[in-house]
Amino acid sequence: MNLMPSSSTRPVEKLSVRGLNFYYGQTLALKNINLPLYEQQVTAFIGPSGCGKSTLLRVLNRMYDLYPNQRAEGEVIFDGVNLLSPKQDVNLLRSRIGMVFQKPTPFPMTIYENIAFGVRLYERLLKHDLDERVEQSLRRAALWTEVKDKMHTSGLSLSGGQQQRLCIARTVAIKPDVILFDEPCSALDPISTARIEELIDELKQEYTIAIVTHNMQQAARVSQKTAFMYLGELIEFDDTAKIFTSPQAKQTQDYITGRFG
Amino acid sequence: MDLDKARYRQRKRRNATNSILCVSATVLGVGILAIILGTLVYKGFSGLSVEVFTQMTPPPGSAGGLLNPIVGSLIMTVIGVLIGAPLGMLAGTYMAEYGRYSKMTSVVRFINDILLSAPSIVMGLFVYTIMVAPMGHFSGFAGAIALAVLVIPIVVRTTEDMLLLVPGSLREASAALGMPRALMIRKVAYKAARAGMITGVLLAVARVSGETAPLLFTALNNQFWSTNLNAPLSSLPVVIFQFALSPYADWQRLAWVGALIITLAVLALSIAARWLGSSRTSQ
Repeated sequence: MNLMPSSSTRPVEKLSVRGLNFYYGQTLALKNINLPLYEQQVTAFIGPSGCGKSTLLRVLNRMYDLYPNQRAEGEVIFDGVNLLSPKQDVNLLRSRIGMVFQKPTPFPMTIYENIAFGVRLYERLLKHDLDERVEQSLRRAALWTEVKDKMHTSGLSLSGGQQQRLCIARTVAIKPDVILFDEPCSALDPISTARIEELIDELKQEYTIAIVTHNMQQAARVSQKTAFMYLGELIEFDDTAKIFTSPQAKQTQDYITGRFG
Repeated sequence: MDLDKARYRQRKRRNATNSILCVSATVLGVGILAIILGTLVYKGFSGLSVEVFTQMTPPPGSAGGLLNPIVGSLIMTVIGVLIGAPLGMLAGTYMAEYGRYSKMTSVVRFINDILLSAPSIVMGLFVYTIMVAPMGHFSGFAGAIALAVLVIPIVVRTTEDMLLLVPGSLREASAALGMPRALMIRKVAYKAARAGMITGVLLAVARVSGETAPLLFTALNNQFWSTNLNAPLSSLPVVIFQFALSPYADWQRLAWVGALIITLAVLALSIAARWLGSSRTSQ
Protein backbone atom coordinates (compact mmCIF):
# COMPACT_ATOMS: atom_id res chain seq x y z
CA MET A 1 0.00 0.00 0.00
CA ASN A 2 2.90 2.31 0.68
CA LEU A 3 3.81 2.97 -2.92
CA MET A 4 3.48 6.72 -2.60
CA PRO A 5 4.95 7.57 0.78
CA SER A 6 4.57 11.32 0.52
CA SER A 7 0.84 11.22 -0.13
CA SER A 8 0.04 8.32 2.18
CA THR A 9 0.04 10.57 5.24
CA ARG A 10 -1.93 13.77 5.30
CA PRO A 11 0.54 16.68 5.16
CA VAL A 12 0.63 18.99 8.17
CA GLU A 13 -0.05 22.65 7.52
CA LYS A 14 2.93 24.47 9.02
CA LEU A 15 2.26 27.99 7.85
CA SER A 16 -1.06 29.41 6.72
CA VAL A 17 -1.35 32.69 4.92
CA ARG A 18 -4.84 34.15 5.34
CA GLY A 19 -6.26 37.23 3.68
CA LEU A 20 -2.83 38.81 3.24
CA ASN A 21 -2.55 42.29 1.73
CA PHE A 22 0.84 43.94 1.40
CA TYR A 23 1.69 47.56 0.74
CA TYR A 24 4.80 49.35 -0.47
CA GLY A 25 3.81 52.84 0.65
CA GLN A 26 0.44 53.34 -1.03
CA THR A 27 0.94 50.60 -3.62
CA LEU A 28 -0.91 47.37 -3.01
CA ALA A 29 1.57 44.65 -3.94
CA LEU A 30 -0.19 41.54 -2.66
CA LYS A 31 -3.95 41.16 -2.89
CA ASN A 32 -5.79 38.88 -0.52
CA ILE A 33 -3.39 35.93 -0.58
CA ASN A 34 -4.55 32.65 0.98
CA LEU A 35 -2.02 29.85 0.94
CA PRO A 36 -0.89 26.90 3.07
CA LEU A 37 2.72 25.69 3.38
CA TYR A 38 3.00 22.03 4.31
CA GLU A 39 5.57 20.34 6.48
CA GLN A 40 8.11 18.15 4.68
CA GLN A 41 7.14 19.63 1.37
CA VAL A 42 8.67 22.14 -0.98
CA THR A 43 6.32 24.86 -2.17
CA ALA A 44 7.45 26.81 -5.23
CA PHE A 45 6.29 30.35 -5.98
CA ILE A 46 6.37 31.07 -9.70
CA GLY A 47 5.23 33.95 -11.84
CA PRO A 48 6.58 36.77 -14.00
CA SER A 49 8.84 39.49 -12.52
CA GLY A 50 7.01 41.88 -10.24
CA CYS A 51 4.16 39.49 -9.51
CA GLY A 52 4.87 39.59 -5.78
CA LYS A 53 6.41 36.18 -5.17
CA SER A 54 9.52 37.53 -3.44
CA THR A 55 7.37 39.98 -1.52
CA LEU A 56 5.24 37.10 -0.26
CA LEU A 57 8.35 35.22 0.83
CA ARG A 58 9.66 38.27 2.68
CA VAL A 59 6.39 38.55 4.58
CA LEU A 60 6.84 35.05 5.97
CA ASN A 61 9.90 36.01 8.07
CA ARG A 62 8.88 39.66 8.37
CA MET A 63 11.93 40.81 6.45
CA TYR A 64 9.86 43.80 5.33
CA ASP A 65 10.03 45.05 8.93
CA LEU A 66 13.52 46.39 8.19
CA TYR A 67 12.08 49.03 5.92
CA PRO A 68 9.70 51.87 6.71
CA ASN A 69 6.68 52.30 4.41
CA GLN A 70 6.20 48.58 4.00
CA ARG A 71 3.31 46.95 5.81
CA ALA A 72 1.22 43.82 5.77
CA GLU A 73 -2.43 43.21 6.63
CA GLY A 74 -4.04 39.87 7.29
CA GLU A 75 -2.70 36.82 9.06
CA VAL A 76 0.13 34.34 8.72
CA ILE A 77 -0.46 31.55 11.21
CA PHE A 78 2.68 29.73 12.31
CA ASP A 79 2.20 27.02 14.93
CA GLY A 80 -1.09 28.55 16.00
CA VAL A 81 0.19 32.12 16.35
CA ASN A 82 -0.23 35.05 13.97
CA LEU A 83 3.34 36.00 13.16
CA LEU A 84 2.29 39.37 11.74
CA SER A 85 1.16 40.44 15.19
CA PRO A 86 3.21 43.33 16.59
CA LYS A 87 3.70 41.28 19.74
CA GLN A 88 5.71 38.68 17.82
CA ASP A 89 9.46 38.98 18.55
CA VAL A 90 10.93 39.22 15.03
CA ASN A 91 14.40 38.00 15.96
CA LEU A 92 13.05 34.84 17.54
CA LEU A 93 10.73 34.39 14.59
CA ARG A 94 13.60 34.67 12.11
CA SER A 95 15.62 32.13 14.05
CA ARG A 96 12.77 29.67 13.40
CA ILE A 97 12.06 30.71 9.82
CA GLY A 98 15.38 30.91 8.01
CA MET A 99 16.06 32.53 4.65
CA VAL A 100 18.56 32.03 1.83
CA PHE A 101 18.95 34.91 -0.60
CA GLN A 102 19.39 35.33 -4.31
CA LYS A 103 22.99 36.43 -4.04
CA PRO A 104 25.28 34.55 -1.66
CA THR A 105 25.82 36.71 1.42
CA PRO A 106 28.68 35.28 3.48
CA PHE A 107 29.70 37.50 6.40
CA PRO A 108 33.21 39.00 6.35
CA MET A 109 34.48 36.31 8.73
CA THR A 110 36.06 32.87 8.54
CA ILE A 111 34.07 29.93 7.21
CA TYR A 112 33.81 28.52 10.73
CA GLU A 113 32.64 31.82 12.20
CA ASN A 114 30.07 32.31 9.45
CA ILE A 115 28.23 29.33 10.88
CA ALA A 116 29.17 29.46 14.56
CA PHE A 117 28.12 33.09 14.82
CA GLY A 118 24.46 32.40 14.13
CA VAL A 119 24.41 29.38 16.45
CA ARG A 120 25.86 31.40 19.34
CA LEU A 121 23.04 33.93 19.04
CA TYR A 122 20.56 31.55 20.61
CA GLU A 123 22.50 28.66 22.11
CA ARG A 124 25.33 28.38 24.58
CA LEU A 125 27.36 25.41 23.39
CA LEU A 126 30.67 23.97 24.51
CA LYS A 127 33.49 24.33 22.00
CA HIS A 128 33.31 20.65 21.15
CA ASP A 129 29.54 20.73 20.57
CA LEU A 130 29.83 23.88 18.54
CA ASP A 131 32.53 22.30 16.35
CA GLU A 132 30.27 19.35 15.85
CA ARG A 133 27.31 21.55 14.91
CA VAL A 134 29.43 23.43 12.38
CA GLU A 135 30.65 20.20 10.80
CA GLN A 136 27.18 18.70 10.75
CA SER A 137 25.72 21.82 9.10
CA LEU A 138 28.45 21.89 6.48
CA ARG A 139 27.83 18.21 5.76
CA ARG A 140 24.12 18.90 5.39
CA ALA A 141 24.96 21.60 2.87
CA ALA A 142 27.34 19.26 1.01
CA LEU A 143 30.23 21.62 1.60
CA TRP A 144 32.21 19.84 4.31
CA THR A 145 34.68 17.94 2.14
CA GLU A 146 35.54 21.10 0.22
CA VAL A 147 36.20 23.34 3.21
CA LYS A 148 37.21 21.08 6.09
CA ASP A 149 40.89 21.94 5.68
CA LYS A 150 40.36 25.69 5.48
CA MET A 151 37.78 26.41 8.12
CA HIS A 152 39.68 29.47 9.26
CA THR A 153 40.00 31.21 5.92
CA SER A 154 37.58 33.94 4.95
CA GLY A 155 34.12 32.92 3.77
CA LEU A 156 34.58 35.43 0.97
CA SER A 157 37.36 33.32 -0.57
CA LEU A 158 34.91 30.60 -1.68
CA SER A 159 33.37 30.39 -5.13
CA GLY A 160 29.82 31.61 -5.71
CA GLY A 161 28.27 28.16 -5.48
CA GLN A 162 30.27 27.32 -2.36
CA GLN A 163 29.28 30.64 -0.78
CA GLN A 164 25.63 29.85 -1.40
CA ARG A 165 26.02 26.43 0.22
CA LEU A 166 27.79 28.14 3.12
CA CYS A 167 24.73 30.36 3.50
CA ILE A 168 22.50 27.28 3.47
CA ALA A 169 24.73 25.64 6.11
CA ARG A 170 24.50 28.79 8.19
CA THR A 171 20.71 28.72 7.96
CA VAL A 172 20.47 25.00 8.75
CA ALA A 173 22.86 25.35 11.72
CA ILE A 174 20.40 27.29 13.83
CA LYS A 175 17.81 24.53 13.34
CA PRO A 176 14.85 26.46 11.99
CA ASP A 177 11.45 24.92 11.24
CA VAL A 178 10.99 26.61 7.91
CA ILE A 179 13.51 27.63 5.24
CA LEU A 180 12.67 30.26 2.64
CA PHE A 181 14.72 30.29 -0.57
CA ASP A 182 14.59 33.48 -2.63
CA GLU A 183 15.83 32.49 -6.11
CA PRO A 184 18.80 30.70 -4.56
CA CYS A 185 20.31 29.57 -7.86
CA SER A 186 19.85 32.59 -10.10
CA ALA A 187 23.47 33.70 -9.60
CA LEU A 188 24.96 30.21 -9.98
CA ASP A 189 26.23 28.00 -12.78
CA PRO A 190 24.33 24.80 -13.75
CA ILE A 191 26.53 22.45 -11.71
CA SER A 192 26.15 24.47 -8.52
CA THR A 193 22.44 24.78 -9.27
CA ALA A 194 22.08 21.02 -9.50
CA ARG A 195 23.85 20.55 -6.16
CA ILE A 196 21.60 23.06 -4.45
CA GLU A 197 18.49 21.46 -5.92
CA GLU A 198 19.60 18.08 -4.57
CA LEU A 199 20.17 19.73 -1.24
CA ILE A 200 16.70 21.26 -1.14
CA ASP A 201 15.28 17.84 -1.94
CA GLU A 202 17.11 16.31 1.03
CA LEU A 203 16.29 19.16 3.39
CA LYS A 204 12.58 18.84 2.80
CA GLN A 205 12.51 15.67 4.91
CA GLU A 206 13.03 17.81 8.00
CA TYR A 207 11.86 21.26 7.07
CA THR A 208 9.02 23.16 5.56
CA ILE A 209 10.45 24.79 2.47
CA ALA A 210 9.29 27.63 0.24
CA ILE A 211 11.23 28.60 -2.87
CA VAL A 212 10.84 31.52 -5.23
CA THR A 213 12.11 30.73 -8.70
CA HIS A 214 12.06 32.13 -12.20
CA ASN A 215 13.03 28.81 -13.58
CA MET A 216 9.97 26.63 -14.22
CA GLN A 217 12.00 23.46 -14.72
CA GLN A 218 13.47 24.07 -11.31
CA ALA A 219 10.01 24.45 -9.77
CA ALA A 220 8.94 21.23 -11.46
CA ARG A 221 12.07 19.39 -10.26
CA VAL A 222 12.19 20.40 -6.61
CA SER A 223 8.66 21.20 -5.45
CA GLN A 224 5.61 19.22 -4.46
CA LYS A 225 3.27 22.20 -4.43
CA THR A 226 3.33 25.19 -6.74
CA ALA A 227 1.74 28.60 -6.40
CA PHE A 228 1.38 30.68 -9.55
CA MET A 229 1.18 34.40 -8.94
CA TYR A 230 0.39 37.26 -11.27
CA LEU A 231 0.12 41.00 -10.57
CA GLY A 232 0.01 40.52 -6.82
CA GLU A 233 -2.64 37.84 -6.89
CA LEU A 234 -2.41 34.15 -6.24
CA ILE A 235 -3.88 32.73 -9.43
CA GLU A 236 -3.53 29.05 -8.74
CA PHE A 237 -2.16 26.78 -6.04
CA ASP A 238 -2.00 23.00 -6.40
CA ASP A 239 0.22 19.94 -6.59
CA THR A 240 3.19 20.72 -8.79
CA ALA A 241 2.41 17.81 -11.09
CA LYS A 242 -1.06 19.18 -11.63
CA ILE A 243 0.02 22.78 -12.21
CA PHE A 244 2.46 21.68 -14.90
CA THR A 245 0.22 19.15 -16.63
CA SER A 246 -3.34 20.36 -16.27
CA PRO A 247 -3.54 23.88 -14.86
CA GLN A 248 -7.03 25.17 -14.19
CA ALA A 249 -6.50 28.85 -14.93
CA LYS A 250 -5.82 30.12 -18.43
CA GLN A 251 -3.10 32.50 -17.15
CA THR A 252 -1.23 29.62 -15.52
CA GLN A 253 -1.40 27.64 -18.71
CA ASP A 254 -0.11 30.59 -20.74
CA TYR A 255 2.75 31.20 -18.33
CA ILE A 256 4.03 27.66 -18.07
CA THR A 257 3.88 27.15 -21.80
CA GLY A 258 5.88 30.35 -22.28
CA ARG A 259 3.12 32.15 -24.12
CA PHE A 260 2.87 34.85 -21.54
CA GLY A 261 2.57 38.44 -22.79
CA MET B 1 35.07 57.00 -46.72
CA ASP B 2 35.30 60.64 -47.63
CA LEU B 3 38.03 62.00 -45.40
CA ASP B 4 37.69 65.73 -44.88
CA LYS B 5 41.37 66.51 -44.44
CA ALA B 6 40.87 70.02 -43.12
CA ARG B 7 38.40 68.78 -40.52
CA TYR B 8 40.70 65.98 -39.47
CA ARG B 9 43.67 68.36 -39.15
CA GLN B 10 41.58 70.69 -37.03
CA ARG B 11 40.62 67.83 -34.77
CA LYS B 12 44.24 66.79 -34.33
CA ARG B 13 45.19 70.35 -33.52
CA ARG B 14 42.51 70.58 -30.85
CA ASN B 15 43.61 67.32 -29.39
CA ALA B 16 47.20 68.52 -29.20
CA THR B 17 46.17 71.81 -27.56
CA ASN B 18 44.10 69.98 -24.95
CA SER B 19 46.89 67.54 -24.19
CA ILE B 20 49.41 70.35 -23.76
CA LEU B 21 47.07 72.25 -21.42
CA CYS B 22 46.42 69.18 -19.29
CA VAL B 23 50.05 68.16 -19.09
CA SER B 24 51.26 71.65 -18.23
CA ALA B 25 48.62 72.01 -15.52
CA THR B 26 49.77 68.72 -14.02
CA VAL B 27 53.44 69.69 -14.26
CA LEU B 28 52.68 73.03 -12.64
CA GLY B 29 50.78 71.41 -9.74
CA VAL B 30 53.31 68.68 -9.12
CA GLY B 31 56.15 71.16 -9.63
CA ILE B 32 54.87 73.51 -6.94
CA LEU B 33 54.44 70.59 -4.56
CA ALA B 34 57.98 69.42 -5.36
CA ILE B 35 59.38 72.90 -4.72
CA ILE B 36 57.58 73.08 -1.36
CA LEU B 37 58.80 69.67 -0.30
CA GLY B 38 62.27 70.33 -1.68
CA THR B 39 62.62 73.62 0.20
CA LEU B 40 61.32 71.93 3.33
CA VAL B 41 63.85 69.13 3.10
CA TYR B 42 66.70 71.46 2.10
CA LYS B 43 66.07 73.92 4.94
CA GLY B 44 64.88 71.44 7.54
CA PHE B 45 66.98 68.37 7.02
CA SER B 46 70.27 70.03 7.93
CA GLY B 47 68.84 71.07 11.29
CA LEU B 48 67.54 67.60 12.06
CA SER B 49 69.49 66.09 14.94
CA VAL B 50 69.05 64.10 18.13
CA GLU B 51 68.87 67.35 20.10
CA VAL B 52 65.69 68.30 18.28
CA PHE B 53 63.93 65.37 19.92
CA THR B 54 65.61 65.62 23.33
CA GLN B 55 65.82 69.33 24.18
CA MET B 56 63.32 72.07 24.95
CA THR B 57 62.66 75.10 22.79
CA PRO B 58 65.51 77.51 23.46
CA PRO B 59 65.54 81.21 24.22
CA PRO B 60 66.86 83.20 21.26
CA GLY B 61 70.53 82.77 20.63
CA SER B 62 71.09 79.43 22.35
CA ALA B 63 70.87 75.83 21.25
CA GLY B 64 67.77 73.74 21.81
CA GLY B 65 65.22 71.38 20.33
CA LEU B 66 61.51 70.79 19.86
CA LEU B 67 60.77 68.20 22.51
CA ASN B 68 58.05 70.15 24.34
CA PRO B 69 56.07 71.10 21.21
CA ILE B 70 56.37 67.56 19.81
CA VAL B 71 55.05 66.04 23.03
CA GLY B 72 52.39 68.76 23.36
CA SER B 73 51.18 68.11 19.82
CA LEU B 74 51.07 64.37 20.43
CA ILE B 75 49.12 64.79 23.68
CA MET B 76 46.54 67.13 22.19
CA THR B 77 46.14 65.13 18.99
CA VAL B 78 45.70 61.86 20.86
CA ILE B 79 43.17 63.32 23.32
CA GLY B 80 41.37 65.15 20.52
CA VAL B 81 41.06 61.96 18.48
CA LEU B 82 40.09 59.87 21.53
CA ILE B 83 37.22 62.28 22.18
CA GLY B 84 36.27 63.11 18.61
CA ALA B 85 36.56 59.74 16.87
CA PRO B 86 34.13 57.75 19.08
CA LEU B 87 31.57 60.58 18.96
CA GLY B 88 31.93 60.79 15.20
CA MET B 89 31.65 57.03 14.77
CA LEU B 90 28.53 56.83 16.91
CA ALA B 91 26.89 59.69 15.03
CA GLY B 92 27.90 58.15 11.70
CA THR B 93 26.49 54.82 12.82
CA TYR B 94 23.20 56.45 13.73
CA MET B 95 23.00 58.09 10.32
CA ALA B 96 23.84 54.99 8.30
CA GLU B 97 22.03 52.38 10.37
CA TYR B 98 19.35 53.39 12.86
CA GLY B 99 18.34 56.68 11.32
CA ARG B 100 18.91 55.86 7.68
CA TYR B 101 15.39 56.81 6.65
CA SER B 102 14.76 59.55 9.18
CA LYS B 103 14.53 63.24 8.42
CA MET B 104 16.92 64.02 11.23
CA THR B 105 19.70 62.24 9.36
CA SER B 106 19.50 64.58 6.40
CA VAL B 107 19.51 67.57 8.75
CA VAL B 108 22.53 66.22 10.63
CA ARG B 109 24.31 65.44 7.36
CA PHE B 110 23.76 68.98 6.12
CA ILE B 111 25.06 70.53 9.35
CA ASN B 112 27.99 68.12 9.38
CA ASP B 113 28.96 69.16 5.86
CA ILE B 114 28.99 72.78 7.00
CA LEU B 115 31.19 71.88 9.97
CA LEU B 116 33.48 69.95 7.67
CA SER B 117 34.26 73.01 5.61
CA ALA B 118 34.11 75.59 8.40
CA PRO B 119 37.39 77.49 8.89
CA SER B 120 39.31 75.98 11.78
CA ILE B 121 39.85 79.41 13.33
CA VAL B 122 36.10 79.54 13.95
CA MET B 123 36.35 76.30 15.91
CA GLY B 124 39.21 77.84 17.91
CA LEU B 125 37.11 80.90 18.72
CA PHE B 126 34.20 78.66 19.69
CA VAL B 127 36.28 76.68 22.16
CA TYR B 128 37.85 79.92 23.39
CA THR B 129 34.39 81.21 24.23
CA ILE B 130 33.11 78.08 25.96
CA MET B 131 36.29 76.98 27.73
CA VAL B 132 39.19 79.44 27.82
CA ALA B 133 37.17 82.53 28.73
CA PRO B 134 35.21 80.93 31.61
CA MET B 135 38.31 79.18 32.96
CA GLY B 136 40.29 82.38 32.75
CA HIS B 137 43.40 80.84 31.16
CA PHE B 138 44.62 78.95 28.13
CA SER B 139 45.03 75.19 28.53
CA GLY B 140 46.14 72.07 26.72
CA PHE B 141 42.76 70.57 27.41
CA ALA B 142 41.00 73.39 25.56
CA GLY B 143 43.39 72.76 22.67
CA ALA B 144 42.50 69.06 22.65
CA ILE B 145 38.79 69.91 22.65
CA ALA B 146 39.28 72.29 19.73
CA LEU B 147 40.99 69.49 17.79
CA ALA B 148 38.21 67.06 18.79
CA VAL B 149 35.64 69.47 17.34
CA LEU B 150 37.60 69.32 14.09
CA VAL B 151 37.84 65.54 14.17
CA ILE B 152 34.12 64.89 14.66
CA PRO B 153 32.77 66.00 11.26
CA ILE B 154 35.52 64.14 9.38
CA VAL B 155 34.87 60.89 11.20
CA VAL B 156 31.08 61.29 10.95
CA ARG B 157 31.41 61.64 7.22
CA THR B 158 33.75 58.71 6.61
CA THR B 159 31.90 56.41 9.02
CA GLU B 160 28.56 57.11 7.38
CA ASP B 161 30.01 56.72 3.87
CA MET B 162 31.76 53.47 4.69
CA LEU B 163 28.72 51.95 6.41
CA LEU B 164 26.53 52.93 3.47
CA LEU B 165 28.90 50.95 1.24
CA VAL B 166 28.17 47.79 3.23
CA PRO B 167 25.64 45.96 1.04
CA GLY B 168 22.07 45.86 2.31
CA SER B 169 22.03 42.15 1.53
CA LEU B 170 24.47 41.61 4.41
CA ARG B 171 22.05 43.36 6.77
CA GLU B 172 19.16 41.27 5.52
CA ALA B 173 21.21 38.09 5.85
CA SER B 174 22.05 38.99 9.44
CA ALA B 175 18.42 39.75 10.21
CA ALA B 176 17.38 36.45 8.60
CA LEU B 177 19.40 34.60 11.25
CA GLY B 178 17.51 36.42 13.97
CA MET B 179 20.39 38.74 14.76
CA PRO B 180 19.44 41.85 16.75
CA ARG B 181 20.36 45.08 15.01
CA ALA B 182 22.98 46.22 17.51
CA LEU B 183 24.84 42.94 17.10
CA MET B 184 24.58 43.13 13.32
CA ILE B 185 26.15 46.60 13.40
CA ARG B 186 28.96 45.56 15.73
CA LYS B 187 29.82 42.19 14.27
CA VAL B 188 28.93 42.46 10.61
CA ALA B 189 28.69 46.07 9.43
CA TYR B 190 31.71 47.36 11.38
CA LYS B 191 33.69 44.36 10.28
CA ALA B 192 32.90 44.96 6.63
CA ALA B 193 33.58 48.69 6.90
CA ARG B 194 36.55 48.52 9.26
CA ALA B 195 39.36 49.46 6.88
CA GLY B 196 37.47 52.49 5.60
CA MET B 197 36.57 53.67 9.08
CA ILE B 198 40.18 53.41 10.27
CA THR B 199 41.29 55.30 7.17
CA GLY B 200 38.85 58.06 8.12
CA VAL B 201 40.33 58.35 11.60
CA LEU B 202 43.89 58.43 10.22
CA LEU B 203 42.94 61.20 7.80
CA ALA B 204 41.38 63.11 10.69
CA VAL B 205 44.65 62.73 12.65
CA ALA B 206 46.62 63.96 9.65
CA ARG B 207 44.30 66.91 9.28
CA VAL B 208 44.36 68.10 12.90
CA SER B 209 48.05 67.52 13.54
CA GLY B 210 48.86 70.44 11.29
CA GLU B 211 46.21 72.82 12.62
CA THR B 212 47.52 76.10 14.02
CA ALA B 213 44.59 78.47 14.24
CA PRO B 214 42.43 76.59 16.75
CA LEU B 215 45.43 76.08 19.05
CA LEU B 216 46.38 79.77 19.08
CA PHE B 217 43.13 80.54 20.89
CA THR B 218 43.13 77.57 23.20
CA ALA B 219 46.41 75.92 24.11
CA LEU B 220 48.48 78.98 23.22
CA ASN B 221 52.11 77.98 23.73
CA ASN B 222 54.58 77.10 26.44
CA GLN B 223 58.31 77.79 26.38
CA PHE B 224 58.99 75.10 28.94
CA TRP B 225 58.49 71.41 29.48
CA SER B 226 54.90 70.79 30.54
CA THR B 227 52.39 68.00 30.30
CA ASN B 228 49.87 69.79 32.49
CA LEU B 229 46.62 69.86 30.56
CA ASN B 230 45.29 72.62 32.77
CA ALA B 231 48.04 75.02 31.67
CA PRO B 232 49.10 76.42 28.30
CA LEU B 233 50.66 73.66 26.22
CA SER B 234 53.18 73.87 23.45
CA SER B 235 52.48 72.47 19.99
CA LEU B 236 54.48 72.14 16.78
CA PRO B 237 52.29 74.27 14.51
CA VAL B 238 52.17 77.17 16.97
CA VAL B 239 55.92 76.97 17.58
CA ILE B 240 56.56 76.97 13.85
CA PHE B 241 54.31 80.00 13.51
CA GLN B 242 56.09 81.85 16.31
CA PHE B 243 59.65 80.87 15.39
CA ALA B 244 59.27 81.43 11.68
CA LEU B 245 58.10 85.00 12.29
CA SER B 246 60.96 85.74 14.70
CA PRO B 247 64.09 87.61 13.63
CA TYR B 248 66.46 84.98 15.12
CA ALA B 249 68.25 82.67 12.71
CA ASP B 250 68.35 79.64 15.05
CA TRP B 251 64.62 79.95 15.78
CA GLN B 252 63.93 80.12 12.06
CA ARG B 253 66.02 77.01 11.50
CA LEU B 254 64.04 75.15 14.18
CA ALA B 255 60.80 76.27 12.52
CA TRP B 256 61.96 74.59 9.30
CA VAL B 257 62.81 71.41 11.20
CA GLY B 258 59.38 71.42 12.86
CA ALA B 259 57.67 71.91 9.51
CA LEU B 260 59.63 68.99 8.09
CA ILE B 261 58.67 66.76 11.03
CA ILE B 262 54.95 67.55 10.70
CA THR B 263 55.02 67.03 6.95
CA LEU B 264 56.76 63.67 7.25
CA ALA B 265 54.32 62.56 9.96
CA VAL B 266 51.30 63.55 7.87
CA LEU B 267 52.85 61.89 4.84
CA ALA B 268 53.33 58.67 6.81
CA LEU B 269 49.71 58.79 7.99
CA SER B 270 48.43 59.37 4.47
CA ILE B 271 50.45 56.46 3.16
CA ALA B 272 49.10 54.27 5.97
CA ALA B 273 45.56 55.38 5.10
CA ARG B 274 46.18 54.65 1.41
CA TRP B 275 47.59 51.27 2.19
CA LEU B 276 44.63 50.37 4.39
CA GLY B 277 42.24 51.57 1.73
CA SER B 278 43.83 49.50 -1.01
CA SER B 279 44.10 46.38 1.15
CA ARG B 280 40.34 46.63 1.61
CA THR B 281 39.64 46.45 -2.09
CA SER B 282 42.01 43.54 -2.66
CA GLN B 283 40.46 41.56 0.19
